[in-house]
Amino acid sequence: MEDSMKIIDLALKDLLRSFRSMFAVGMMVVAPLIITGLMYFAFSGMASQESGEAVPLPDITVSVVNLDQPQTGLPELGALVVDFLRDPAMPDWLVVNELTSEAAARQAIDRQATGVAVIIPEKFSAVMGSGGKAEVTILHDPTLTVGPSIVKGLMEQFMDGISGAMIAYQVIDLHASENDAVLAPETQMAVLQRYTEWFTATSQNINHADQPILRFISPAGEESSAGVTTNPIGNILALTMAGQIIFFAFYTGGSSTLSLLNEDEEGTLARLFTTPTPRSMILIGKFIAVFFTVILQTLVLLVASALLFNIKWGQPVTMLLVVLGQVAAAGGLGILLISFLKSPRQAGPVLGGVLTVAGMLGGLFTVAVPGLPELFNTINLATPHGWVLRGWKLALAGAGPGEVLVPVLVSLAIGCICFAVGARIFRNRFA
Amino acid sequence: MRILDLALKDISQIFRDKKSLIFLALMPIVFTLFMGFAFNGAVEDPDQRPRVGWIDRDGGSAASQALFDMLESSPDMVIAPLGDLSMDQAAERVRSYELAAVVETPAGFSDRLLAGEPVRLALIADANETIGQAAMQLIRPLVVRALSAAEITRLTLELYPASDVSADAQTREVFADAVEAWKSPALSVAVQPAGPVEDSGGMTNPYQQTSPGIMVQFAVFGLINSAMVLVLERKNRTLTRMLTTSLNRASIILGHVLAMFAVVLFQEVLLVLFGQFLLGVDYLRQPLAILAMLVSLGLFVTGFGLFVGVMAKTEDQVIMLSLIGMFVISALGGAWFPLDVAGPAFSRIGHFTPGAWAMDGFQNIIIRGLGFSSVMLPAAILMGYGLLFFVLAVWRFRFVEN
Repeated sequence: MEDSMKIIDLALKDLLRSFRSMFAVGMMVVAPLIITGLMYFAFSGMASQESGEAVPLPDITVSVVNLDQPQTGLPELGALVVDFLRDPAMPDWLVVNELTSEAAARQAIDRQATGVAVIIPEKFSAVMGSGGKAEVTILHDPTLTVGPSIVKGLMEQFMDGISGAMIAYQVIDLHASENDAVLAPETQMAVLQRYTEWFTATSQNINHADQPILRFISPAGEESSAGVTTNPIGNILALTMAGQIIFFAFYTGGSSTLSLLNEDEEGTLARLFTTPTPRSMILIGKFIAVFFTVILQTLVLLVASALLFNIKWGQPVTMLLVVLGQVAAAGGLGILLISFLKSPRQAGPVLGGVLTVAGMLGGLFTVAVPGLPELFNTINLATPHGWVLRGWKLALAGAGPGEVLVPVLVSLAIGCICFAVGARIFRNRFA
Repeated sequence: MRILDLALKDISQIFRDKKSLIFLALMPIVFTLFMGFAFNGAVEDPDQRPRVGWIDRDGGSAASQALFDMLESSPDMVIAPLGDLSMDQAAERVRSYELAAVVETPAGFSDRLLAGEPVRLALIADANETIGQAAMQLIRPLVVRALSAAEITRLTLELYPASDVSADAQTREVFADAVEAWKSPALSVAVQPAGPVEDSGGMTNPYQQTSPGIMVQFAVFGLINSAMVLVLERKNRTLTRMLTTSLNRASIILGHVLAMFAVVLFQEVLLVLFGQFLLGVDYLRQPLAILAMLVSLGLFVTGFGLFVGVMAKTEDQVIMLSLIGMFVISALGGAWFPLDVAGPAFSRIGHFTPGAWAMDGFQNIIIRGLGFSSVMLPAAILMGYGLLFFVLAVWRFRFVEN
């Protein structure tokens, strides 16, 4: 009983020491909130969180070069493309202008005056009459990635509308021939009109309807409209915050353990060892302080982020399980890493380097970045950070406790192994 | 000469520490390779395409088969038939990253679709995962094409109704014609990067992003070593002892600054040569422009390193200030991912950080293939930041800890 009280006293002393330091509190709590706050400002500055709008993009200037020379009597498809891109319904970040030649478009891209150029070929409209093929070329600034693919998606959708109408005409005409009939011009127009209306309605349905033809189901089994499980901006913030919480939890695991080396260097640990308290009790007290510091930090960050950024961390039991795995892994790894050091001066490369490297490999800093390859998900799991992140991802997706058991158990196992090895090294060192 | 001696002392102190060398040289190289390998896999390895599961509960009906064929012929994804798997089991495969998404056609899909009755397909994907979002974007237009074939069939049969006897056969025939026509639509879109380095294929070499990105990140991260020297010298009073020699205060500061600059420049040159000769990143297409960028980035990092060394009181604080500097400058500056994938505010904020200007300067040369004039503004801004931090550091410089 007395030993237990001493352990608690020692743990409390270290805990108080950690949280009395403004610098430590700043790094444990304020830094992750500030970094997520930056993301909050960056991604939600232009759209309401409640609206569920797609994440806005930086302005993309699209220059259209319409070289189309339609024959008399045929629809002007090139002009339709220009009208489509200039439609007021297009997103605000799509800034459209017109240029007269491909060379002018290339020069504009070189000057970074435009990001994407849409080149409509000379015989674009002629495909309507000839039944041939035409290809619109999208030139883009080679440093851009998202803008060109979005413009490509928009153009493909628009061109599929026209191609579909042409297919409708082609198929109907074929069957008219088989029936020895000729399609009257007014019937052609009526058919194209009906197809266009159908295409517009279907595109609208599949992208925006509450009950879309393609019903979207998240892996957690939740159905939502048009492929959005929750607010996309909220997702980015939640994932960013999860990454920050994990990184700084692991940092705190290491920096809290560093107090052992600091006390050793300052001589206070040696003085503590002269007291009747067994050395093993002193070490246990210090290790408990490490775990409690990480627990407190994590809980403060979860509550603060829920209040500040409206992040829903998932089902309470699931969340607690993930916190448990995170605390075990962060505390255990921190104790192991610091056990290898001879003095606090060596902490720079370990805390700064190893944890940053592991954090990057674990996907903590790129968790909200779109377009990363699937290989990352596999590589992430080579680090404890990746397993903890997986737990948070599942929790954020609404998973139940049973679904996070694997990442939580792996995190716990990693934490226990690291702790056992680290504690043994410390015990041998201070024996 | 004494300034040089002092700088040489700092440099030898940093380079004697093997751990410092690991973080200055080895880690950035390993990271460049790792990040590039990951991106490279996505670009070149077809197995990195999203794997989409397929569940057909309509028994291989005409519409189901048409949609399957359309999905399977897409060069951007891989289709994996899942037989009669339950939706829960399918969801589990998405959760475990085995599949990016799963498409399910319901029983009666084809009949209802061709009869013009409402149909609903199911798509399991994780909108929180980039691979899930990518799969959704690829699947939607192909679903519309399959639905379009059915609409065209209905329109055709309205005009030329089939006889009761051959209704089913004719419906399938018209539908097959429409599906066949969709294999080669009249209009298509081609995308190609523009600019003088068009032959490089734009960003298809992933190292064009990761090589300068990791260089910027580790240049900032590397200042831990330089700033640490300053903090330790102040803590153990080496700085005050130096004042008892004939070195004046300015010489001591300049000596440290020179060492920091030399270390950063060494690291940058190493990474540029590595990128040029082993990763195919053409830094040396404009040697003068690259030199201007390396020097200006070096000057910024030196100024920032001195500032961190002055502001930090302990080793812990050096680490944390350097880490935060690295996060802010790298993440906001587009060193980890291109700024055009983030929001407009993010992109604008990013250009308040020197990291974004460093990336702009490097990419103007290696991706856009532009000349010296294109790096003048980025280099000037980097040097401006360097000067700002240098002035702040000199203003707050103290030889002893209060």
